[in-house]
Amino acid sequence: MKKKRKPPLPLGMKLLWGMLALLAALALYPVIFLIAGSFMGNDELRNYLGAVISGSQGYADFPLLPKYPTFQYYVEVLLDSPEFFVMFWNSIKITFGVLAGQAVVGTMAAWGFAKYEFPGKKGLFLIYMILMLLPFQVLMLSDYLVLDQLRLTDRLLGIILPGVFSTFPVFIMYRFFTEIPDSLLESAKLDGAREWQLFFYLGLPIGSSGIIAAMVLGFLEYWSLIEQPLTFLKEKSLFPLSIFLPDITSVDQSGMAFAASVITFLPALLVFLGGQDYLEQGIMAGAVKE
Amino acid sequence: MRFNKKKKPGNHKINHGLVNNYRGFLWILPSLLGVLIFYLLPYGDVVRRSFLGAVDNQFTGIKNYQTIFENTAFLLAVKNTLRFTFFCIPVLILAALLCAVILYRSKFGGVIKSAFLMPMALPAVSVALMWRLLFHSQGVMNQWLSCLGIAGKDWMNTEHAFWILVVSYIWKNLGYDIVLWMAGLAGISENIYEAARVDGADERQCFFYITLPNLKPSLYTITVLSFLNSFKVFREAYLVAGDYPHESIYMMQHLFNNWFRSFSFDKMAAAAVIESIVLLGMILLLQKAWDSGDGY
Amino acid sequence: MKKKWKSLWKCRIGLFLSAALLIGSFSGCGGKDGSSASGSGGAGGDDKGQAMGRFLEEEVELPIALGNIYDMKRMGNGTIRVMCSNGDNGNKEVWDSKDGGKTWEKAYDLPAEIQDTDDGYVDYAKLSSDGQAVCGYNKIADGGITPILYLVDQTGSGKFLPFELPAYEGDTRNSSFDTEGAYDYNTMSTEGKSVNAGEDQSENPEEDQPEENPDKAQPEENPDEAQPEGEKEAKTGNLIVDLQFLGNDQVILQDMNSTIYQISTADGSVKQKYECSETTGGIRQVYVAGKNLVLISYTDIRVYDTETGEQKSTEETLQENVLDHENISAIDTLNEGESIYYLTRGGLYHYKFGGSIMEQMIDGGMNSLGAPAFYPMALAMIDEENLLVAANDANSDSPTGIVILKYTYSPDTPAKPDKEIKVYSLYNNRELGQSISRFQKEHTDIYVNYQVAISEENGLTVSDALKTLTTEIMAGKGPDLLLLDGMPVETYIEKGILKNLSSVIEKEDDYFGSILKAYQDKEGQLYAVPARFFIPMIHAKEAYYSQGEDFNTFTERKDVFVNMDPESVVEKFWYSCGAAWKKEDGTLDESKITEFLTRLKNAYGEYDNSKDQEEDGIYVASDIGGFDEIKRTSLDYGNFELAYGRLNTNIGLYGGMDYGMLKAVSEKLGDAVLDQMPGQAENVFVPAMIVGISSKSAQPEAAEELAKYLFSSEAQKVSQSGGFPVEKEAFRSVIDGHQYEGKESMRMVEIGGTSLEEPLSYDMVPTPEEEIQKLTDLAELLTTPALRDDVIKEAVIEQGEKVLKGEISPEEGTKALMQKVNIYLAE
Repeated sequence: MKKKRKPPLPLGMKLLWGMLALLAALALYPVIFLIAGSFMGNDELRNYLGAVISGSQGYADFPLLPKYPTFQYYVEVLLDSPEFFVMFWNSIKITFGVLAGQAVVGTMAAWGFAKYEFPGKKGLFLIYMILMLLPFQVLMLSDYLVLDQLRLTDRLLGIILPGVFSTFPVFIMYRFFTEIPDSLLESAKLDGAREWQLFFYLGLPIGSSGIIAAMVLGFLEYWSLIEQPLTFLKEKSLFPLSIFLPDITSVDQSGMAFAASVITFLPALLVFLGGQDYLEQGIMAGAVKE
Repeated sequence: MRFNKKKKPGNHKINHGLVNNYRGFLWILPSLLGVLIFYLLPYGDVVRRSFLGAVDNQFTGIKNYQTIFENTAFLLAVKNTLRFTFFCIPVLILAALLCAVILYRSKFGGVIKSAFLMPMALPAVSVALMWRLLFHSQGVMNQWLSCLGIAGKDWMNTEHAFWILVVSYIWKNLGYDIVLWMAGLAGISENIYEAARVDGADERQCFFYITLPNLKPSLYTITVLSFLNSFKVFREAYLVAGDYPHESIYMMQHLFNNWFRSFSFDKMAAAAVIESIVLLGMILLLQKAWDSGDGY
Repeated sequence: MKKKWKSLWKCRIGLFLSAALLIGSFSGCGGKDGSSASGSGGAGGDDKGQAMGRFLEEEVELPIALGNIYDMKRMGNGTIRVMCSNGDNGNKEVWDSKDGGKTWEKAYDLPAEIQDTDDGYVDYAKLSSDGQAVCGYNKIADGGITPILYLVDQTGSGKFLPFELPAYEGDTRNSSFDTEGAYDYNTMSTEGKSVNAGEDQSENPEEDQPEENPDKAQPEENPDEAQPEGEKEAKTGNLIVDLQFLGNDQVILQDMNSTIYQISTADGSVKQKYECSETTGGIRQVYVAGKNLVLISYTDIRVYDTETGEQKSTEETLQENVLDHENISAIDTLNEGESIYYLTRGGLYHYKFGGSIMEQMIDGGMNSLGAPAFYPMALAMIDEENLLVAANDANSDSPTGIVILKYTYSPDTPAKPDKEIKVYSLYNNRELGQSISRFQKEHTDIYVNYQVAISEENGLTVSDALKTLTTEIMAGKGPDLLLLDGMPVETYIEKGILKNLSSVIEKEDDYFGSILKAYQDKEGQLYAVPARFFIPMIHAKEAYYSQGEDFNTFTERKDVFVNMDPESVVEKFWYSCGAAWKKEDGTLDESKITEFLTRLKNAYGEYDNSKDQEEDGIYVASDIGGFDEIKRTSLDYGNFELAYGRLNTNIGLYGGMDYGMLKAVSEKLGDAVLDQMPGQAENVFVPAMIVGISSKSAQPEAAEELAKYLFSSEAQKVSQSGGFPVEKEAFRSVIDGHQYEGKESMRMVEIGGTSLEEPLSYDMVPTPEEEIQKLTDLAELLTTPALRDDVIKEAVIEQGEKVLKGEISPEEGTKALMQKVNIYLAE
């Protein structure tokens, strides 16, 4: 963020600020809850969560620090359940497959929408936006039939390809590319640059933070994909991590669920925090008009 | 008194450097082909189905549309979805704006912002797990209440379910919207504020006459994105409460899911078409509001 | 896989020629029996470039009824030797066949000193390839069991081997297992159950609970039904849990400490020791192939060289394949152990160590090998095209369930039948699995692919499973035949998903009419037909229930639900009451539901939640998915509790008669009544194994053929506690206890309940005619199908449980329930 001269905070602001800090702590509570739970042992979890999990009397209780921290469930998830790795790997394949595709197809489309004029552009973009907003359930059956015709059901490609052509990144990157001043392009053109050169040497570098922003959001989206794999995949060995939730009917399972949650959460968190600045710069670039 | 960001010269509305060029279409073509196959083709199929019987594929005219408007489950789902959307989105956007304005000025804004962002990275299944532990009738929430001497509730099976969903949505998206707003704030040139102060404007005036008008364009993006994310609460609702949750959180997606399972593709398709028409209307409205913002 | 198989055959042309002679002789034999081989000739003619060659199965005719097979081995000279116990008298004998199973002659009886007596019994026995035998003999003395090794030479004279096991270090290992157990005990408990299903159907449900000791979970090693399960557990000493011959002069044995000993038969000295206690879940099986020792745990497979004691590199391919199928049930080799043949649920596989060959030779889906109640005990490869499998097959024609099957390669039968039909059910249905396996033997041209949507491991919800089913049906890839249990049958009929089945039922009079027509539509057409049914029943002392009592009177009583958990009370009464709720217009009658909840609450009284905690473990275990929901509510589960007074009434669904058990319980109680369960609806039955054929089926004829078979007397007689057959003749055969005929004096079986101190002993006798008549009359009387709508049921149980626990009032419960159900019905 740019450095700015800021007036000193009045007392009211300080108070507000403190309240926000409290709110942030509250927002973090569930995250801490999960992490704490993942380090608890069998007995401790039974003790605290017995009421919910196995219906014993009283209420579930949950301290934010495990009394006897243990890596038991991490060991179980990471070392003793080979299927967890398969799922992890599937998630990686899906997520990066989609992102790579979006980086190519989506960027180009966004560039086309942002920097060219052609008849029907507005209408087309409108269609893109509606498709972006349509809930998955609406197209579920027809999607399946199309994928089935293409012989893509029960294959990771059947999840990846529709993801590649998702219109969401186009929307995000479009706003960004419009930010590049036309005058810049004009002058480059006068200097003899070809159109693809404009895209590669001006569009991509200047738009990089927008692209990264779209990628970060895409990562979150496809890392925690639920509906599509449940509908289009039948083969268990193709399932991604996002639908791995051991049934918490027993204490043992809930321990696994905690540990698995944290392991799933970590990559998403890293990407998110790492890409946070790009999110800011990227997303709003187009919205804050020239 | 109005202060506006100065526009760069020669950059009025659409004045792109590569005007009137069908080649723009070529850039879009790969994406468009994919969209055609994976989105428009299925969508066309949905529209077709909305005029056909469920399994036998007999043409039924607009009967499906008539049926759904007499269907109490559909009406309930529409009511709940609208209620949720129109309540949550303004609340989220305003709350995020408030936080953004406060945090933007503070030293530790970054840290707090990151804290707010974290929930968004939590996978839906983990959130569902948490919700189950927190809001179970013997869950942690009731444990706290019982410490305060208040009798607990079976949260997910009462009207409270709706509020849990609201809180869940705001909790997950607040950080994201704060980031969006802060980016918007960063885009406002400091020069305008200085000019205003020279003219004798105080903080309050600065906020109302500079900050807000200049944030208006951001509102469009934020609204669209918040709207998009509002569909995602269904995941948690579904994972926690299943196919038939409390009636206050019975959303369109629940209905779609259930229709799907019982082969009611006729009703489903008709409802999908209606939904997309409503979406179209909303986007047009938003765009209109945004475009009118350009007038400044 | 198929390709590999083919090319392999090409390069073995020489072998082929010599084998052709053998095939000639065997196919003749097959034809005579009228078994599967005869049907294959025609199928080969109309194929176009179809892969040819398949193993065909036939049952070997045995000279005596076998009580158990300890081992079966092809000896060096080609003779097949079998160590078995005589089914008629329990005598341990060894039989030989010089012609690959056609004729048998007794080689010798085991020496008298190790025949079963009160002083001890043979637990394990294995044969070597030169015809020796080694027995793990458990000597009962001083209130404990001492395992002893006993070596028998080729002619039947034997001696004890001087070898002693160290003491059992049980407890430490057991508790460490406990923490890891959750992963495994699903499989273990089902295995435990299925074994018992083999001989005595009456097996008490407590058997299903997770067993602490991993070693006990090996079904095929469970030697003798007369030995009470609990005996091993009761003593603390060490035991042999697995035994194998290694070459001709050494044996391998595993003890309860998971230590594996390699012992010389000459002097009992230990040549090698393999410690495996750190393996997760312990070693489940020990096999020997040539000089290789193969150890199978829950997570990996290890191969050791027995000459050096060194572990060889991991056989990834093998490990993956075996763990996919849970387990290996038998291994044999045709060479020095460079390659092995092994059996799993998936069929017969051939694997060469080092991973260069891995092929499926027999697809278990096409014959008995994949059948649910089929437990192989030994595999003997005669050569590459002929093999024998000894197994416990509960649904074979053999009275004891012990069979030897012969598999012969037939080069002119298509490798895979040209027609494939898909069969789908939400829950695993053992009767269906069994029937399919038999159906396939008779229809070599049809391949039946049976898919079960919900299993213990995948934890899929019904809702998700149905969603997937919907997409598949709509895409035209759906199943041809469905078991509609747990599915919204009425909706499917209404939407036209199902095909008219009226033509499948040939003679309606052979069936219980009103049950057959449970889902008859307004025009009298049948689109879904239950092949089986349950009856909601009550078994109680007269003090708590008098014959013919109605729901209102019954629920006035305060003490009838003592020790029952709220959930199961609601679930069971839902079956007997739900049918009365549906109104003419399709909605539910709110007042009936309020009455239902109020009355149940009244009878249930105060909920004592201190109970939950003690029984934690049990409930957690029984909650694990994958069970057909009906089986959880079986009447059988309460027998011991009722007999020993922990339950005042035993209510539940009755789907398989075990006359002896019920009689024993009644006798223990003194004055017991067995009657239809009281409820708001009368004469209720619960339709089960509901058969439907998809209207989008690509193979409707084949699917109908299978459906017809499912309603045939033969298939209906298959019984694995999945409900009474709807066909009358089969119904009688299932309840009359004919299997006990002529054995009245011999069988006296004790079965332990939750505690070993509570035995129930009873005679296994044929059911008296009047009892058969009583139950038949009752079945004739049943007219009202119970509601089997899962959405409503779930809502009822969810709210009902809260009402009984006192968390909400019956009125609130009804309101919450109606709210959900109304949305559902409005959709």
